[in-house]
Amino acid sequence: MRSVLHTIIGVLVALTALQAASAATVIDQMGRSVNVPDDPRRVVALAPSITEIVFALACEDRLVGATRFSNFPPAAKRLPQVGSYVHLDLERIVALAPDLCIAVKDGNPKAVIQRLEALQIPVYAVNPVNLRAVGDTILEVGQLLNARQPAERLVAEMNARIEAVKARVAGSDRRPRVFFQIGISPIVSVGSQTFIHELITIAGGTNVAAGPVAYPRFSREETFALAPEILIITSMDRDESFLTAKAEWQQWPEIPAVRDQRLHLVDSDLFDRASPRLVDGLELLVGLIHPHLAQAAP
Amino acid sequence: MSPRPVLRRLALVSLPLLLALLTTIFLGLGFGVTGSGLRAIWEALLALDVSNVVQQTIVWRIRLPRVLLAAEVGATLSLGGLIFQALLRNPLAEPYILGISGGSAVGAISGILLGLPRFPGVSATAFAGSMATLALVLMLSSGRHILKKDTLLLAGVMVNAFCSAMILFLISLTQDSRLHNIIFWLMGDLSLSDMGQVQLLALLLAPCFILAFLLSHAMNLLLMGKETAMVLGVNIKAVTLTLLVATSFMISATVAQCGLLGFVGLVIPHLLRLMLGPDHRILVPACILGGATYMVGCDLLARIVPRQGELPVGVITAMIGAPVFIFLLRRSGK
Repeated sequence: MRSVLHTIIGVLVALTALQAASAATVIDQMGRSVNVPDDPRRVVALAPSITEIVFALACEDRLVGATRFSNFPPAAKRLPQVGSYVHLDLERIVALAPDLCIAVKDGNPKAVIQRLEALQIPVYAVNPVNLRAVGDTILEVGQLLNARQPAERLVAEMNARIEAVKARVAGSDRRPRVFFQIGISPIVSVGSQTFIHELITIAGGTNVAAGPVAYPRFSREETFALAPEILIITSMDRDESFLTAKAEWQQWPEIPAVRDQRLHLVDSDLFDRASPRLVDGLELLVGLIHPHLAQAAP
Repeated sequence: MSPRPVLRRLALVSLPLLLALLTTIFLGLGFGVTGSGLRAIWEALLALDVSNVVQQTIVWRIRLPRVLLAAEVGATLSLGGLIFQALLRNPLAEPYILGISGGSAVGAISGILLGLPRFPGVSATAFAGSMATLALVLMLSSGRHILKKDTLLLAGVMVNAFCSAMILFLISLTQDSRLHNIIFWLMGDLSLSDMGQVQLLALLLAPCFILAFLLSHAMNLLLMGKETAMVLGVNIKAVTLTLLVATSFMISATVAQCGLLGFVGLVIPHLLRLMLGPDHRILVPACILGGATYMVGCDLLARIVPRQGELPVGVITAMIGAPVFIFLLRRSGK
């Protein structure tokens, strides 16, 4: 009887040791404890931003799957796709036999995440809500993928570029009024709790749509009343809809931005993905909001 | 009126339908977006290749609950349509037309917006919604005239219109990622089923199915007309109310799980009635089996037809359902 007990205890201890050797429990950004492998080899990125981060850390050899619209860098397009990030395809994810999935809180359906966990696939969830959190996310992903040093280098470089932009706009007291339009029909802009608001602020502009609602809708009349000096439109399908939107705004020369021909189209991927490219977006914004400062900068 | 011929016919009708259902379930397990084929399914079913954990997981823990959920939902919607058509003596009656589905949808969307879990939260709000619409429909058709089919149907249509407006209102309030959840759910979504859901739904639905079968003879008599039914000892009001509440209950249970799936309640009962005649003692089990087969088949199509992602199954049921329904209408009109 005792020997049986000993055997059982021995097996349990061995199992625990085995587990400890191959995996570690970490706390993700949602405060959940996740049992992640020490050296994940089959990672599925459940959002385009995560795919970009993994590539930026040169860990793409660990990626076995990504979501639709994971279009950057171009090599990401060749990865097997597991549905779009708001409508994940459970069967495709499981078929890739991942040892780690990296999910985003904003977008990925909770039900899919719970199902993945029920199937014993570890899911590390991130929730980068501002630039600092994007840095933290990059560091954490680096930690998960054993790429701590590249992650630290990348974040340091991003921070340096952000500081450079801050220094650049510190030279001007003007904070032009920016209306950042992420939806064309209906007109949707961005409230205070978004990256874009943060980027506009750092780039020395005033977000006229600032407010508690993350993605507020505007009527044309309201936009009119906000009298933006710069109108920036992001669009996923570049040409057609932007031209339409631009043509519509052109009918209202009373809006300062229209009168001064300061209507710009920007690539939405640089602004709505919590990826290192947000800093590209920031530098682009500075050029649009403070063209003279940008030119004068070293 | 002896029960023996009925039992024989029941067996004659049910066995082929059961066979069809099992075949469709088998195909549903065998095909999917990743590696399909009958060999793979045999291997998984017979556990020949135990080392292939991924395949086992996909077949048993992803496809099986989904296929079973589809069967439950198809059976419920088709039976619900049959019951409503009998109660209202109107071939166009369906849970949707009466606003029962719309009511559960408003309840369920409110639940999703409040961030409740699918069960019990969203199911409870969906049931509350359908019960509220049912009460409203009955009240509008003023109780006593419950059998006046036009009043009930018109009340249902109006309540339904109101529910659609409520759904659009709730959607326009939503600004974040929950919007996607709601939209996919509105189109009818079976993709996230798990075994717990399937078991729970089975527990909720089984009593309703049995009740419908027990009352199937009463439904036959109701169809012969109010007076005849009363003379033959049917408590019209009790039977009607029982069936309405039970049907609303099972409809809201499925709506909360899978969203809005249209036309199943029209197509399957009509098809089976054309094939099998008007006896509800045969039609009730036939609708359960036939509806289940139909929905499993539609879900299979939704999964394997598109090259990218998958279609919402509600799109398939409507795209197949509407033309079939028009065809049936034309044929029965001749």
